[in-house]
Amino acid sequence: MNRLLTVAEMTLRELLRRRGVLLLLLLMPLTFYLIRRDSYLGQSVRSLLLGVGWAVSTAALFATTAARELEPRLRLAGYRPHHLYLGRMLGLWTVGLVVAVPFFLLPMIDGANLRYAGLAAAMLCSVGVAAPFGMLIGALLPRELEGTLLLLTVVTVQMLIDPAGSGAKLTPFWSSREIATWAVDHTDQGYLDRGLLHGLAVTALLVLGVAAVASVRLRRRRHLRHLPVS
Amino acid sequence: MNSDDWLRAFAAELHQRRVGADAARHVVAEAATHLREGGGDPWVVFGPPRQYAGVIVESIGTAPGPRPGPVRLHAQGITKRYGRRTVLRDATLTVRAGQIAAVIGANGCGKSTFLRICAGLISPDDGAVTVSGRLGYCPQSGGTADFLLADEHFVLVGAGQGMARGPARRAGRVAARQLGWEAGGDVLARHLSGGTRQKLNLTMSTLSDPDVLLLDEPYQGFDQGTYVNFWDQLSRLRDAGKAIVVVTHLLNQLDRVDTVLDLTPAQPSGWLAPGAQGGHP
Repeated sequence: MNRLLTVAEMTLRELLRRRGVLLLLLLMPLTFYLIRRDSYLGQSVRSLLLGVGWAVSTAALFATTAARELEPRLRLAGYRPHHLYLGRMLGLWTVGLVVAVPFFLLPMIDGANLRYAGLAAAMLCSVGVAAPFGMLIGALLPRELEGTLLLLTVVTVQMLIDPAGSGAKLTPFWSSREIATWAVDHTDQGYLDRGLLHGLAVTALLVLGVAAVASVRLRRRRHLRHLPVS
Repeated sequence: MNSDDWLRAFAAELHQRRVGADAARHVVAEAATHLREGGGDPWVVFGPPRQYAGVIVESIGTAPGPRPGPVRLHAQGITKRYGRRTVLRDATLTVRAGQIAAVIGANGCGKSTFLRICAGLISPDDGAVTVSGRLGYCPQSGGTADFLLADEHFVLVGAGQGMARGPARRAGRVAARQLGWEAGGDVLARHLSGGTRQKLNLTMSTLSDPDVLLLDEPYQGFDQGTYVNFWDQLSRLRDAGKAIVVVTHLLNQLDRVDTVLDLTPAQPSGWLAPGAQGGHP
């Protein structure tokens, strides 16, 4: 447990020191919110949630790429793969929650008539999905540029796709959009239930994906045999 | 190089040649007194530290070195291909406790690949590695976190072995001091100079008290004093019973090692250092 928490703490420290990047990442959800504010509040809140998801997954992508060379030597120093990816994820979720708080308060200050419990649930889904999503892309694509472009593509698809179409459910942040509809438009309970279920399932799938990639990349190689010190 | 640097280099040479600690201290003190009282450039008065150490060794002899211990690392028949290109062919190396092995060869001959295979970071196409005890690995570059302090690196590595924060920080600072670096500052790793960053890298690899230490040209960016300290520290680790493998292209240091693995594909002159194990038959 100490190893996992140490990795989480160091991830947190690293991210909080990237102040410039953090500020730019915070700018995106804010811009998303403000740019649609005059037309339709629902669209504005959904964009805000997508912006939070983008910000956290980009931070996760950078953190994963930066740790790529460090992790094998931490493995040699006694860490197991799950200490490394779960610790990093824990740190990223914490950063995500910290980032989400001002954006949760923003519509409240703005005087929007929302179901705030729903907004909180949508924020949690957004952050919950974003951290393992960014980590998975970072683990699969070794360079930040490729990863960022892929993230951009996913977010753009998420923004433009018809939410009622069956393909929309395959996009990672569909859950927060569905819950946001419940929170903004005061629709029936089905939106909330579907959204929560989707959020949990996608988060679980992404965590498993990260676990699988990390376990393969940081596995003990078969050619190496360890003997106790004689 | 001023007198202090010369004396430091001279002391390191004596240590390296296994001159007894008391005798070495006495000889260095005598040389220091001579320089202080008589003045002059030590390079003129005594000559190069290495040469003068050789003269001293001939005159007073050396302490018997510890006998090499049990085998700590045995890499057998390591072959690695990237596509159609064979980088390593049937490379074999055995290192015992209390030995330093050098892996040498031309650029691109697979030195780093061999070390990464020994560390278990990549798989060979053929061959096996047996390691007895704990492994430490220092890469050629990278391997540190840009936005963490040196102390935080020590805490992170130490936690892997279940070390508490305080002892991990202290152990890291002590190991760094042996390389002539005071590591306890509040400078992020990304703001460290290239050489200091490598000192951090090297310190991290020794922090978990490994039985087998794999070093991939760790001295990149080191100044002369640090370079001397580096070999001095390797000797101390060897004397403490560690098995060390160091990738190097500096052939003038080969007399400091116990065995050499030459990975150069062809040997035009057939020259191999004493104890050399060829990687390409």
